[in-house]
Order: sequence, then structure tokens, then C-alpha cells
Amino acid sequence: MTHRTPTILAVLILPMLSLASAQGSTVRIGFFPNLTHAPALVAIEKGYYAAQMKGVKIETKDFVSGTTLSEAFAAGAIDIGLIGPGPAINAAVKGMPVQIIAGASEAGALLVARKGSGITSYKDLAGKKVAVPSLGNTQDISLRAILADAGLKAQTDGGNVTIVPLAPADVAAAFVSKQVDAALVPEPWAALLEGQGNKAVGDEKTVWRNGNYPSALVIVSTKFAQANPEIVKGFLRAHLQAIRFINKSPAAAQTAVSSALFKLTNQKVDARVLQLALKRTRFTANVDIEALKAYSQLNLAAGYSRKAPDFDALVDLTMLNALNASQGQLQATPRTALGLK
Amino acid sequence: MTSLTPVSAPVRPRNLTPLWQVLGLLIIVGVWWLITDVLKLWPPYVFPSPKAVWEEFSYGLWGSGPQDGKLLSSVGSSLRRVALGYVIAVALGSAVGLLMSLWRPLRDTLGAYLQGLQSVPSIAFVPFAILFLGLNERAVMFVVIIEGFIPVALAVSGAVLNVPPAWRTAGRTLGASHFSLVTRVLLPAALPNIVTGLRTAWSFAWRALIGAELLTANPGLGRLLEVGRNTSNMALVIATIIIVGVVGGLFDLLIRALETRMRRDYGLEVQV
Repeated sequence: MTHRTPTILAVLILPMLSLASAQGSTVRIGFFPNLTHAPALVAIEKGYYAAQMKGVKIETKDFVSGTTLSEAFAAGAIDIGLIGPGPAINAAVKGMPVQIIAGASEAGALLVARKGSGITSYKDLAGKKVAVPSLGNTQDISLRAILADAGLKAQTDGGNVTIVPLAPADVAAAFVSKQVDAALVPEPWAALLEGQGNKAVGDEKTVWRNGNYPSALVIVSTKFAQANPEIVKGFLRAHLQAIRFINKSPAAAQTAVSSALFKLTNQKVDARVLQLALKRTRFTANVDIEALKAYSQLNLAAGYSRKAPDFDALVDLTMLNALNASQGQLQATPRTALGLK
Repeated sequence: MTSLTPVSAPVRPRNLTPLWQVLGLLIIVGVWWLITDVLKLWPPYVFPSPKAVWEEFSYGLWGSGPQDGKLLSSVGSSLRRVALGYVIAVALGSAVGLLMSLWRPLRDTLGAYLQGLQSVPSIAFVPFAILFLGLNERAVMFVVIIEGFIPVALAVSGAVLNVPPAWRTAGRTLGASHFSLVTRVLLPAALPNIVTGLRTAWSFAWRALIGAELLTANPGLGRLLEVGRNTSNMALVIATIIIVGVVGGLFDLLIRALETRMRRDYGLEVQV
């Protein structure tokens, strides 16, 4: 029996160690290979993180959904991440030491109907199967808002619309085999599905709040931020740099995103698709707190949490604002010095 | 093999098992409370306290929120699904198992494959079921049926083959036709072992159901697990695991009671 003791001890102690190891000069960055996470894709591709956080070991890790990123965060395996408002709010409500320090993107998600499904408006979703990346994620909540507006309800809430969690990459196959009738997916998946002959219902603005809602935010582990303010500042500088690059040079950003996506997913996204997808996503580091609060209300209405988080504690934009104030200096950096043409 | 050692003690000792079980449960909850609420070894979003899990139970049973009060209906949909799948699995498994026991070529081929298939975890069938049948109830049913079917077929075949040869000879000598030999001698004689197989099949089917529901998010306990996971609600995850265990265990007890009673009637079990 004694030989088991070390194992048991390890099982007990390891989680605590992994929580404690969120310090030191290593930063672990999480994101998804989606267009709404383009600032991370561009920052990695252009080496912004490395340039702005010198002497820091940078580990980047891509996740399929907010669920898996949130789990990694809970396990102390991620220090900074780009994530949708849904998982960020739920994590905060459950007491995870997380703080929103910047925005990344807004809008950039569409409801696409399978060709032949006969869906031309949100009302036509009655009795249909609609895919979202995962239950309780940003698009799931948006879909529930759309359904409520159209006077519909999810099957599990006593209505007749079946919400199916499905990885965006699998939607195309599910459309071909007619397993789902529509999908609310982030870009570039929406543009990709459209390119395959499926039809977008409405546009990114008709999803919610006239398109003024966050799709990806920057979250940081509060413990990490307290211990490593300089690293977090460096991350934000790189983040702002990437957003400025995307907004100023969409074509070059498209190339960088395409290259990053190819390295991560081994899928070559068509340039026209990417162009369309970029056009429908807005990249900004600002956080629309009113939109976040409204999102939290939707989350409550969907029953995914029982209370709203304390937004004053959850959102901390002091560092972002300080950087924005000194932005003039950053902008003055010659573009060639940043490796840009 | 059932022990046939004569029992010497004429007086039945008082059954203390339920007492120990309650005590054990109290100790588990106590230790759980100690490491979560008192020692706080883990943050609550990693390992919630018994209180948080109890809250999830209460929300599920009599809560009034949008996702609340769904516990019973989730248990209901899962049970309805598994019951249908189980009945089909038992019917199919019995028929195939009987054929296997009566016809050697089938036993040597299909029987051998089923033994191999039995080692495949149910979750491995889910991707195939989804692609083949779609993201729907049928995919879940398929996985439940295949997981329940295999142990039933193997148990029926094994049980019929294990009927003492003398009984067959006796049946034939007394003039039983092939049909009545099967229905009146072999099957009744094999029944206790068949019931053991049915119990195994139940636990296989139940496990397969939860796994398949988790991946397809059909209404049910698997979906509760998925929602808990997606909303960082570890208390809901643990509450659901407990329900899955309790419901699965209760049905197992039910079938076990039937099994014990049957084995006793057949003189295979000695009451201690």
C-alpha cells in the first residue's frame, strides 16, 4: 500500500503546484484559430509578442472553444487569453481569478442557413436544427437572443428549435449530410460556408445590438497580472500593435492571418473568404461595458449563470488606458521599424 | 461458481450493511466538506463544496430559473431513451445469442467478433453513429443498443451452452421436439445466467447513454454535464455525476434483486 502514497500525494499536490506556477518569466497565451482572434494570430505571426515582451518565454496555445480555454485557465495552465464574453463572465461568476483588460474584436459572427433548408429569415428557424460552437458560448447566447426576438424557443426550454453544439470546422460536413439546418458561427467560418453556396440570414449586424457586441476579449489571470505587471503591459502593447496593423493594412493582415490559420489548422482559407470575413469583424481594444452588461443579462436569461459578475472588479482597463494615453509615442515608431512595408 | 458449502450458522446475524453504508456516506461527505470548505485545498471552481453541489440539486429540483427544475425531466429523458434502447438490445441480443448457441458456425464467427467488440469503449462508437445516423436521438440509441446487445448475446449464448448435456439428453429421451427442447428445457435452465447478462447489459447501456448524450447534447443527463462544463459550473458537473451514479445504481439493484431471487428459486444461491 505504501507505494501508492506518492501517487496520491502527487494527485493532491499537482493542481496546487500548477496554480502556483503561474509566475516567473514565462507567459502562456491562449486563443482560438478564428478570425475574431485575429489580433493574437497577427501578433504571433508578426512576432509582436516576442518583440514587446523581451526576455520572457512565450508559449502560445490554440483552443477549440471558450470551454476548453476556460478549463485550462481554471487549471492554471494559461496566463493571458483571448476569449468570448460568455466564458469570461461565467468564469468570473464562478470565482475564477480572471480580469478583462482589453477588447479584441466585435461582431464577426453570422447565422448561415444550409442551402435547401428554406430558411430566409430568423423566424424560419422554427422546427430546425441550429449549430453553435458550444453550449453557453457567445454564439449560443446570441442565438437565444435571436430566437427570443423571433418569438421562438430552444427545444430544451420548451420550444421547437434544436440547438446543437458543433465545432465550426465540422459544420460544413454537417450541412452536406443535412444534420443541421443552420449555424451561428464566428468568422471565417461564416464566410467559408457562404462560399460553399449556403446563405447568410441577415448579416453580422442583425445578430445582436446592431453589431455592437464583443466577440473576443483579453482576459488575464489576476494572480499573474499582480506578479507580472510588466509582462501584461508588454502583451497589451503587442495586442494594440496587432489591432492597429489589422485596421491600417487589411491586405497585409489578411496574409498574416491566412498564414497563421494555415499553420494552426492546416487549412488554406481562400483569400476572398478571408477578405469578406475581415470586413464583417471589427477589431478594437476598447471594451463596451454596456454591451458586456447586456450580454450578461442574456446569459442570465438563458440560465447559464444565476448572477451577474461584479463588472467593476471584472473589467480593469487602467493599463489599457495608460497605454492608449502614450499611444502617440507608439504610433510614432516608423512603420519599417516594426517590419511593415 | 456458486459455493455450495453448507451454512453452519443457524441464526441469521442482524444485517448491519445499511448502517455501514449510511456511515460511509457521512464519512465521504465529511471528508469532502473538510477538504473544500475547511481546508480549501482547491478553489471552488475546481472542486466545489458539498453545499454548492446540493444547491445545484435544489435548483434542478425546485428552482425557478430558466435552466432550473430540469433535473427530473433530464433524468426522465435519459431513462426513456435507455429503456427503449435496452429493450431493443435485449430482444436482439437474446435472438442472436440463442442462434449462436444453437449453431456453431455463427458462434465461431459472430461470437468471436462480439467478444472483440465488447472491449471497444462505447464512446468509440459515437463518431461513427453521428456520421452514419446524424446528430440526433437515433445516434444515441444506436450506441446504447450496440453496447447493450453485445453482453446479452454473449450471455444468452454462453448460458444455453452451459446447460448440462444430461438435461438435453433427458429432454430428447422424453420426446421433446427441437423447438420445445429450446423453449421448455434449454432457455428455462439458462435463465439465471441470462439474467446476470441482462444486468451487465444494463450497466453497459447506461454508461453508453451518458457518453453519447454528452457528445450529442440531446436533452438528458449528458447534456447537463456538457452545460456544466461549458459554463464553468463544476458543482453542476458533480451533481450530475452523482445522479448518473444513483440512477444507474438503483436500476442495478432492481435487476440484482430479480437475479438473486431467480438464482435462489433455481437453488443456485444459498441464503446466508
